[in-house]
Amino acid sequence: MTLTAIFIATLAASILRAATPIIFAALGGLVSDLAGAINVALEGLMLVAAFFAVIVSVYAGRWFPGLPPALLPWIGCIAGVMSAMLMSALLAFFHLEWRGEIIVCGIALNLLAAGLTVFLLVTIVGDKGSTASLNSPALPTLHIPGFSSMPALDTLLNGESRQGHHVLCYAALLAAFALATFLERTRYGTWIRAVGENREAALTAGIPVKRVQYVALLLSGLLAGLGGVYLSMGYLTLFQAEMTSGRGFLALAAVFLGARGAWGTFAAALLFGASTVLATQLGALHIPTQLVYMLPPLVTITALVIAGSRRKLR
Amino acid sequence: MSSLFFDNANAQSGRREALRLTIAIGAALAIGFCITLAVSDEPIRAYLALLTGALPEFEWSHAQGWQVHRIVRFGSVIEDAITLSFLGLAILIPFCARQFSLGADGQMFLSALAAAAVSLWIGGPWYLVLPAALLAALTIGFLWGLIPGLLKARFGANEIVTTLMLNLIAVQIYRLIITEVLRDPHAGMIATPTLPDSALIPILVERTNVSVMLFAVPFAAFAAWLFLMRTTWGYEIRVVGEAPDFARQTGMPVARAMILSMAIGGLFAALAGLHISNALLKRLPVDLTPGIGFDGLVVALLARNDPKNVPLTACLYAYLRVGAQAMERTADVSREVVLVIQAFIILFVVAEGLFAGWYCVSPAGIWQRWRRTGKDVLEARQ
Repeated sequence: MTLTAIFIATLAASILRAATPIIFAALGGLVSDLAGAINVALEGLMLVAAFFAVIVSVYAGRWFPGLPPALLPWIGCIAGVMSAMLMSALLAFFHLEWRGEIIVCGIALNLLAAGLTVFLLVTIVGDKGSTASLNSPALPTLHIPGFSSMPALDTLLNGESRQGHHVLCYAALLAAFALATFLERTRYGTWIRAVGENREAALTAGIPVKRVQYVALLLSGLLAGLGGVYLSMGYLTLFQAEMTSGRGFLALAAVFLGARGAWGTFAAALLFGASTVLATQLGALHIPTQLVYMLPPLVTITALVIAGSRRKLR
Repeated sequence: MSSLFFDNANAQSGRREALRLTIAIGAALAIGFCITLAVSDEPIRAYLALLTGALPEFEWSHAQGWQVHRIVRFGSVIEDAITLSFLGLAILIPFCARQFSLGADGQMFLSALAAAAVSLWIGGPWYLVLPAALLAALTIGFLWGLIPGLLKARFGANEIVTTLMLNLIAVQIYRLIITEVLRDPHAGMIATPTLPDSALIPILVERTNVSVMLFAVPFAAFAAWLFLMRTTWGYEIRVVGEAPDFARQTGMPVARAMILSMAIGGLFAALAGLHISNALLKRLPVDLTPGIGFDGLVVALLARNDPKNVPLTACLYAYLRVGAQAMERTADVSREVVLVIQAFIILFVVAEGLFAGWYCVSPAGIWQRWRRTGKDVLEARQ
């Protein structure tokens, strides 16, 4: 009995771990989509954030040896998020000021991120693959004490190793809650939804449409940036070329699947996290790895089809 | 985009577009140069390698007369340009229906696989093998292109997500079949056996892989143009792309146009697949790099929805790509800088308002803007 409970708790914990970057990015995609300026560049934003988080945290330590080491990952985190926001500001600028088609601009930014990170990786680290040689720090984990007598609950709350979940895992849950409240209960959240729903009506009602869209895109940059930072300073503690491996697009699918609501998107992101966990679990069996790798995209397409046919019935 | 119904505006907007594209490419190259300047010890040399590295070298000496060097490198420009032309067309046609289908990668992988498999299985004389391989590639490309179209029309599934997911699946299918079914046990790497000679597309230039597929490029571009501009289906695709509300209200088969645009795109990606398997590589390795479909995206965007421009923009882009490889070899700048340049080319090309100020001071520009909305100009003058 307790063994099953521990197994389920372990599974839930690993799903949360795998889903965290997708949750962040999907929430970012959701805000931008609701504001009528869908951010397709989530993948690139995550990649850039993951890269700069690692590089800045390492180089901050080298340039300012006086800094306490515990501070370095946080400096890296801020730098990563800032870089992602800078990229989304670029996207917002090209779309809102120069009328560039936002989807094409987003795709271009994905290419820019893929190229720029590898280019800088070669230039700074001298390696085309990863920053393994840099020995970069990770953000801390949060341990919740007092549950050591209940193994199942302890596993759920503190992970398999009982060391506690990564601080950004909690931040992802918090972000989902905060975003749902923001969109439903605040005036600015209503503005964002109004702008996406009917731009002309929002303009007529005196809502500063352009500013709202800027805010939404910057917010999506912030969230996607946190997802990227988690990848390189939590999920792994290094940066790898192309390390987002399609999570930004899974996040986009989660937005569509979640019927453009904060909790729906959150649930869809958890589903995609679960499908990647399942894929790694199956990897231990004697199934060709190619079939295993097909699983997450197949789950995504199936989920979109199911969501679509439900929408049709209604 | 807006010149669908006004043919007389075509020539003028064409000239303006050409100017815009030149400025966009120039600006992107300038950004690339700034980046090179920041990281390189010899930026000028690196950038010269990027811009001229793809060219062949001509040398004259009394003893041997004219000699051409680096023909292999220039050959690879043409090889790339052929692949990119097909991929550009594969992305351009869905674009005309405003479908952001990025599935060219997957379609190309599976078509290349189909062409190679058929070539290996059938054997026999070339007039039997090549049409069969072509047919197999086209069928697979068409069907794989059909899927995202159907998913979108039937279930409203966003085509960016589905095509990218289908790309992932296609690459895995490709790897699975090559590892498990078509693998050549005697090869040192995981790859299919070398295709029989009769299945290879005849080579035109010695020491390169420039094949007669070169002649197929203008035909393909012309066929795409003919399809879009002179057939009912093509007309429907363009109207759905440029005026979706109009198309819906006049009862046009919007769903069919959408599906068809993606499937036809798959046909052109299939040609790229055939070119890769039966002309360039001659055997398919398991680790064929995905991602070339995005280069096709740049080609399609630069061509501004006109298939006739595709061969030209493909040449331009292939030239830049090969130049980047030359730069990486001769200087201390990695070739990924070309991805950055590529991204900025896309950004500058689609940013319609960016260079608008440059021609709105000309009488033609003012007249154009006046016709669109009179208010705009008045506001701009104030």
